[in-house]
Amino acid sequence: MTDAYDHLIVERHGPVGWLINNRPDVRNAMNNAMRDEFAAAWTELNQDPAVRVIVHTGEGRDFQTGVDVGELATDGVGMERYRQSMEDFDVHFTSWHQEVWKPVITAVNGICCGGGFHWVADADIVIAASDAQFFDPHVSVGQVVAIEAIGLMKKMPVEAVMRMAFMGKHERMGADRAYELGMISEVVDPPEHLRERAQELGEAIAKNSPAAMAATKKALWGALDRGLTDACRHGAQHLVSMWGHPDQTEGPAAFAERRDPEWEPLT
Amino acid sequence: MTIELRRDGKVGWLIFDRPDAGNAIDAQMFIDLEAAWAELEADDTVSVIVNTGNGRAFQSGLDVIQLARNPEALKASSRQTKNAALRLTGWHCGVTKPVIAAVNGVCAGGGLHFVADADIVIASTDASFVDPHVSVGQVTAFETIAMLKKSPAESILRLAFVGRGERLTADRARQLGILSEVVEPGELRPRAQELGEAIAQYPLHHLRQLKRQLWAALEVA
Repeated sequence: MTDAYDHLIVERHGPVGWLINNRPDVRNAMNNAMRDEFAAAWTELNQDPAVRVIVHTGEGRDFQTGVDVGELATDGVGMERYRQSMEDFDVHFTSWHQEVWKPVITAVNGICCGGGFHWVADADIVIAASDAQFFDPHVSVGQVVAIEAIGLMKKMPVEAVMRMAFMGKHERMGADRAYELGMISEVVDPPEHLRERAQELGEAIAKNSPAAMAATKKALWGALDRGLTDACRHGAQHLVSMWGHPDQTEGPAAFAERRDPEWEPLT
Repeated sequence: MTIELRRDGKVGWLIFDRPDAGNAIDAQMFIDLEAAWAELEADDTVSVIVNTGNGRAFQSGLDVIQLARNPEALKASSRQTKNAALRLTGWHCGVTKPVIAAVNGVCAGGGLHFVADADIVIASTDASFVDPHVSVGQVTAFETIAMLKKSPAESILRLAFVGRGERLTADRARQLGILSEVVEPGELRPRAQELGEAIAQYPLHHLRQLKRQLWAALEVA
């Protein structure tokens, strides 16, 4: 447990690290301070060898509602900093930005809108409470949606992403539809069981080889940026990087002996 | 021979035939697969290829332990993996005819290659999909990469990271568009033959052109 953060909660439960958005009074909208804390929190959990899987969720009713427009509008320096970081694409608030190679589960509670989609697009696995709602109000307030929608389009049927981009605040997508589309892989009902289920899923994944998962994550995320044949060549490098690793003999040995494997920690 | 080859009209059948071993790829099948694809590709009477398995399983991937007993095969497998130049599936072997995968049971690990690299995938209600690589300290790459490009990515990332802990059902795979049809087990082969015949009505050179163009689209970054 750490109290180094004002706008996030960072916890550890067994092998699962938790990163919890903690500005519930403003639906967990991200101000400048929170943005800086994200960079530190992802790095902290990424560097902790005891953490094998990371779950990201929101405190209070909602998951995340994008940038805190109220703060940005009244803080000239902060606005300028935000604009500059976006122009340079020098951003550090998701696990993908921070090159976290551990599996990341986003557990969406309540509303996820606008910039909140960054953490849906950049997670490996996404689950949601049955009362979760997704929408993208950017165009309704004269803003362009780009990075998070582009990330989503690479991972799911494009029409649904375009529809959300153009419908803005006038339509919401429910958890069931998000599941049908493969944007998320599980709907948790009743909603209050979301965290319990995320922990359970995290623990199941934590049983797998950390090194093999890291190399797999590099291969698969690399594939989203490449054509098929290139992606396979790139993936081969990460696959081969595991050859000779102790986990490659420990895995089959443990399987044959019907015991839990003892994996090497990630270095 | 670890592969049963059959012809029914214009439909060629490539059937995994190690039913007692879950159709896992041993050293012999490793060699036989390349030859089997080449034979059906070269056969002018065949326009469409159906790929399925004998017994309860569809395909359970590389039989690593058996492969390790055959140094030649192991060396070839390692070289092909390192160079991203496997010779297991129709796509690997440059097959230009349409390929239908008919998944009759469990499809695990390297078995996913044959789903990823097929043009059309159908399954029986008995089919399920699981990728245990990371549960035994292995990286999953080629087969999940191709699936990632063809299906909603989150579902494939989940399959990859959950490992042995979870199976994807045929119904969910159909919903996600990983496959297009789920039928009763007894209906799988007749339905695959029927689909094959429907496609085989078109001139082979058109089918080849179409296949080449559509797979080329997956090469765009």
